[in-house]
Amino acid sequence: MTVRADAGRPPSAQAGRAAAVIRRGAPVVVAAAVILGGWELVVRLFDVPSFILPPPSEIASALSAQFGTILSASRVTVQAVLLGLVLGAVGGVLVALVVSRFHKVSAPILGVAVIVNCAPIVALAPIFNNWFGVTNVLSKAGVAAVMVFFPVLVNTARGLLQVSPLHLEIMESLAANPRQVSLMLRLPGALPFLFNALKLGSTLAVIGVIVTEYFGGPSNALGVYIAYQAALPRFAEAWAGIFIASLLGLAMFGLMTLLERLFMPWHASLHGDEK
Amino acid sequence: MPESGIISVHGVTKEFNSATDRSVTALTDIDLTIAEGEFVSLLGPSGCGKSTLLRILADLTPPTAGTVQVNGKTPAAARRDRDYGMVFQQAGLFEWRSVRRNVELPLQVAGVAKEERRNKASAMLDLVRLEDFASHFPWQLSGGMQQRVAIARALSADPKILFMDEPLGALDEMNREHLQAELLRIWSDTRTTVVFVTHSISEAVFLSSRIVVMSARPGRIAANIDVDLPYPRTAATRTTPEFFEKVTQVRTVLHGMLAAGETS
Ligand SMILES: Nc1ncnc2c1ncn2[C@@H]1O[C@H](COP(=O)(O)OP(=O)(O)OP(=O)(O)O)[C@@H](O)[C@H]1O
Ligand SMILES: [Mg+2]
Repeated sequence: MTVRADAGRPPSAQAGRAAAVIRRGAPVVVAAAVILGGWELVVRLFDVPSFILPPPSEIASALSAQFGTILSASRVTVQAVLLGLVLGAVGGVLVALVVSRFHKVSAPILGVAVIVNCAPIVALAPIFNNWFGVTNVLSKAGVAAVMVFFPVLVNTARGLLQVSPLHLEIMESLAANPRQVSLMLRLPGALPFLFNALKLGSTLAVIGVIVTEYFGGPSNALGVYIAYQAALPRFAEAWAGIFIASLLGLAMFGLMTLLERLFMPWHASLHGDEK
Repeated sequence: MPESGIISVHGVTKEFNSATDRSVTALTDIDLTIAEGEFVSLLGPSGCGKSTLLRILADLTPPTAGTVQVNGKTPAAARRDRDYGMVFQQAGLFEWRSVRRNVELPLQVAGVAKEERRNKASAMLDLVRLEDFASHFPWQLSGGMQQRVAIARALSADPKILFMDEPLGALDEMNREHLQAELLRIWSDTRTTVVFVTHSISEAVFLSSRIVVMSARPGRIAANIDVDLPYPRTAATRTTPEFFEKVTQVRTVLHGMLAAGETS
C-alpha cells in the first residue's frame, strides 16, 4: 500500500507543484471551454436574437474594440468602489469598537444591524444620486459604503465580543487596562472576522457602485456605459461591460484575500502552505 | 502578624452563587503562610478548590470571607503592581503573535520600552531553551513547547511570585517529567516563590519544598507536608528510596483523607 502511494508521487517538489496547478486549473479551463462553446453553439443553432443573448465571440470582439473605453470607464468605477469600501470598512470597524465596549447597548444595536443587513440597500441608489448629485463620486461610494458597513459592523463586533475567556483572564492577571485589552486582544482576534466581512463587502461594493451608476453618473463610468450600450441597443458591448464588471468583483475579492494573508501571516496554517 | 510570609491567607472562605439554591462552598476557613523562595504545591482531589484558592491569591476572584496578603499587599494591589506571573493549564498563547511577542506581552502591557522588551524576551527564551523558535507562531510548536513559552511569558516581567495551575496537566508523561526538571532549574535560577497546583502526587513530591494537601467538600487544608529531599533534584531523584517514601507518605495522607470523607 505505502509502496504504491510513494510510487505514484511525482519525483520532485517542483514537478509536484506544477502537477497540482494543472490538476486544480484543468477543470476550470475545461468547464469554461464547455460553457462558452455550448453558449456559442446554442445561440448560433437556434438563432437566438442578440438582445436576448449575444454569442461569446461577438462579446469578445466588442470587448477588444471597446477595450480602451471600458478600461477608462472602469477607472472611475474602481475609484468609487475603493472609496466606498474604505469608508464602509472604517465606519463598520469604528462602530463595532464602540458597540463592543458597551455591553448593554451592543445586543440591540447589533440586532438592528443584522436586520438592516438583510434589506436591499442597493435600492437606495436613486436616493443617493439625489443627495450627492449623479456625477459626484460620493453618490456611488456612499451606496457601496452602506452596503459594506453592515456586514463589517456585524462580523467585527462578533469577533470583538467572541474572545477566549482564558485570554481575557491572562490580560486581567497582567493588570491590562481596557484599551490594552482592545488593542492587544480583541482587535487582533477580530481580524479573521473582519476579513471575512471585507471579502463579502468587496463584491457588494462593486454591485453597489455599478447599480447606482445605472441610475446615472459621470459619462465615463462602467455602470453608465453598460446601461447606455444596453439602451442603444448594443448588447454585445453591454455584455462586454458586464464581463469587465465581473472581473472587477473578482479582483476586489482577490485584493482582500491578499490583504488578509499580508495582515494575518499566522493564519498560514489555515491556508495550508506550511513550509 | 500576617507579614510572616510573602503570601498569607487567614480564614478564607469562598462560596459561589451565595444566596441562591445553587450555592457551592468551594473553600472553608483556609489558613496558609508561604515563605519567600518556597516551592509549594497545592495537592488534592478534583473539585477541592485548588484553582479557586490560586485564583483568590491572583485576584481573579474575590474571597467571600477572610484576609489575603500577597507580597505584603492585598491581592488586587499585588496584581496591579505585577508582583506575580501566572501560568494556566492551557498555554493560552495569542496565536497572532510570534513566540517572542507572546513573551513580550506582560512587558508591553507594563509599558516597557521596545528595546528592553526584546532583550528581556530573548533572555526568557534562553531560560526555557526556545531561543531558536523566537519568530515561530504558536501553531508551529508542540504542546510542551507552547507551555514553555507560557512559562517564559509569566516570568518575563521578573515577578516575585509564580502561580501555576496544573501547567503540565495537558502534557504526556515524557514531556511532563522533562518540564518538571526544567521548572526546577528555572526556579533555582530565578529564586521566585512558586505556588503550584497539581493532582499528581509524584509531581508534587518531585517539585515541591512543601506540599499542602487539600480535602474536598468542603475544601480545606488537610495537611502540610515538608519535602526534605535535597535540591537540585534530577531524574535520579525519582529512583531514590527517599522519593518513594515521600510519595507513599503523601499518598497515605490523601487516601486516609478520602476514606475519612467517605465514612463521614
Ligand atoms: N465560577 C464558579 N461558579 C460556581 N462554582 C464554581 C466556580 N468555580 C469553581 N466552582 C466550584 O468550586 C469547587 C472547587 O472548584 P476548583 O476549580 O477550585 O477545584 P479544583 O481543586 O481546581 O479541581 P480540579 O482539580 O478539577 O481543577 C467545585 O465544586 C466547583 O464546582
Ligand atoms: Mg483546577
